Amino acid sequence: MVNAPVGGALHQYRIPAISILALAIALALPMQAQAAGTRAGSTISNTASASYDAGGGTQTIDSNKVDLRVDELLDVTVDSSDPADVPTTPGATAQLLTFSVTNNGNGEESFALSTIANGGGDDYDPTVTQIYIDNGDGVFDANTDTLYTPGANDPTLDPDKSVTIFVLSTTPGGVGDGNRGTVSLVAAAKTGTGAPGTSFAGQGDGGGDAVVGSTGADGQDQGAYVVSAATVSLVKSAVIVDPFGGSEPVPGATITYTIVATVAGSGAVNGLAITDNIPADTSYIASSITLGGTGLTDAADADAGDYNGTRVNVALGTVAGGQTRTVTFRTKID
Amino acid sequence: MRLFFLAFAAAILPGQALAANQVALDNNVFVERVSTDATGKQRVLLEEPKVVVPGDRLVFVLNYRNASAQPADKFVITNPLPAAVRFADAGDTRPFVSIDGGKTWGLLPEMTVRQADGTVRAAQPGDVTHIRWAFQKPIPAGGTGKLMFRGVVK
Repeated sequence: MVNAPVGGALHQYRIPAISILALAIALALPMQAQAAGTRAGSTISNTASASYDAGGGTQTIDSNKVDLRVDELLDVTVDSSDPADVPTTPGATAQLLTFSVTNNGNGEESFALSTIANGGGDDYDPTVTQIYIDNGDGVFDANTDTLYTPGANDPTLDPDKSVTIFVLSTTPGGVGDGNRGTVSLVAAAKTGTGAPGTSFAGQGDGGGDAVVGSTGADGQDQGAYVVSAATVSLVKSAVIVDPFGGSEPVPGATITYTIVATVAGSGAVNGLAITDNIPADTSYIASSITLGGTGLTDAADADAGDYNGTRVNVALGTVAGGQTRTVTFRTKID
Repeated sequence: MRLFFLAFAAAILPGQALAANQVALDNNVFVERVSTDATGKQRVLLEEPKVVVPGDRLVFVLNYRNASAQPADKFVITNPLPAAVRFADAGDTRPFVSIDGGKTWGLLPEMTVRQADGTVRAAQPGDVTHIRWAFQKPIPAGGTGKLMFRGVVK
C-alpha cells in the first residue's frame, strides 16, 4: 500500500474500502469500559467541509449532514460496601449489610432490587427482613432512610449516579461460632435485562430504543456475615484443710472452693456472673472472696464480689473468648 | 437496513446537488458490528446506523468528486469531530489533526498536551477535535476519491 505524503493524500489515492487488515487491528484494540457516556436521546451530527480553488478563487462547500440518535444503554453494577465480613451473633436481628448500586448506562433508569440469601458457598442462610434506600448520608437510620417496597419505590438513577442500599437480616439462632452467611443484592434495570445487545424498541430514555449493555442490565454483589459467638464453661473444685493439718472433712475444717470460668470462641459474653450458694452445714468465712487472686469485700459495692448471707456472687461483666476468670471463697464446716 | 460487507468501494454514491461549484463532498457514517459465526470466526459488518449506543465504533467515510471541467487545486477537507465521538484512527490516510478546536494543526504523533499540573504528555487520539486532509496535487476534472476515519461513541 502506498503511503500518502505527510499530511495529505494523493488525489488518485484510493482507500481500498476498509482493509481487512486495518479492521483486524482495530478490533484487537481493547474496548474501553464506558462510563455513562453520551446521554441517551442526544444526536450526533457530522458534517465535513471542503475548500478548493478551481480557478475562480477559493470556494467552500459543506457535505451532507449525517445525524445519529444515541440510544439508551442499560448497565448497572452493584458493589458490597462492607470492607470485611460483618460480625453477627446467633439470633441477632437487624444485622446490616451495605451495598452501592450504580447506573453505568447513559439514561435515567429505575432499578428493581432483590436479595439472594440461599446462594450457597456459606454455612447458613441469613433471613433478609428489610431493604432500605439511603437518604444520601451513607449511614443507616430506619427513621430517615426509605424502606424499599419492590415496584413501589424502585430507585431511579441518573447516568453515573449511585445510591447506597442497606440490607437488614436476622441471624438464625442455631448458628455456630465462625459460621458465614452471605446475602447478594441484585439490581435489575426496570426497562429490561438480557443478553448484551438485546433491544427494547421505543423504551429508551429520550425516546429511542433501550439496548442492554455489557452488564446484562443487571448486577449483583455479595455481602457476608460471620458469626462471632462465645461459650462459657465453669469448673469448680474444693480443697479441705482440717484443724489437725490433714484434709478430712471434719467440723472446723476449712473448704476452699475454686471456680474457673473459661470463655471460648471468637465472640464475647456480656454480663457474666458467677453465683454460688453456701452449702448447708458450712459457714462462709468473711472476706474470703478472691477474683484472679485479689481479695474482694463482702459488701455489694464498687468491687465485683459480694456475699448476701446465703450466696457468693462475682460479677465478671464482659469477657472475651479465650480468657478465663478464677474466683475463690472459703467456708468452714460447722 | 442496508448491510455493507467489506465491499462498498464500488458503490457510486450520489453527490451533493451541484450548484455553481462542481466539487461534491458526500458524507456517510457506518457502524462496525462484529458477529461470530458457527465456526467461531468473527466477521465485521458495516451497517448504516440510525441509532447508536456509547461504545459503538463508527466509520466516517467522505467521498469527493470533482465534476467540473477544471482541476480543483488547494483541495482541503475538514471534518470537525462531533462532541460525542472520540477519534480512534484514520486508517492509512494520515490526516492533520487539531486538538484545540481547529486553531493549530499537526500530525498526532508530534503533538503534545500541557496538563493542568504543568507537565506535558503526548497527544492521544481522544484529544483530537478536528481532522483535515490537505491535498498536495490538484484534483483533475472528473477525479474522485475517498477518505475515512474511525471514532467511538463516547
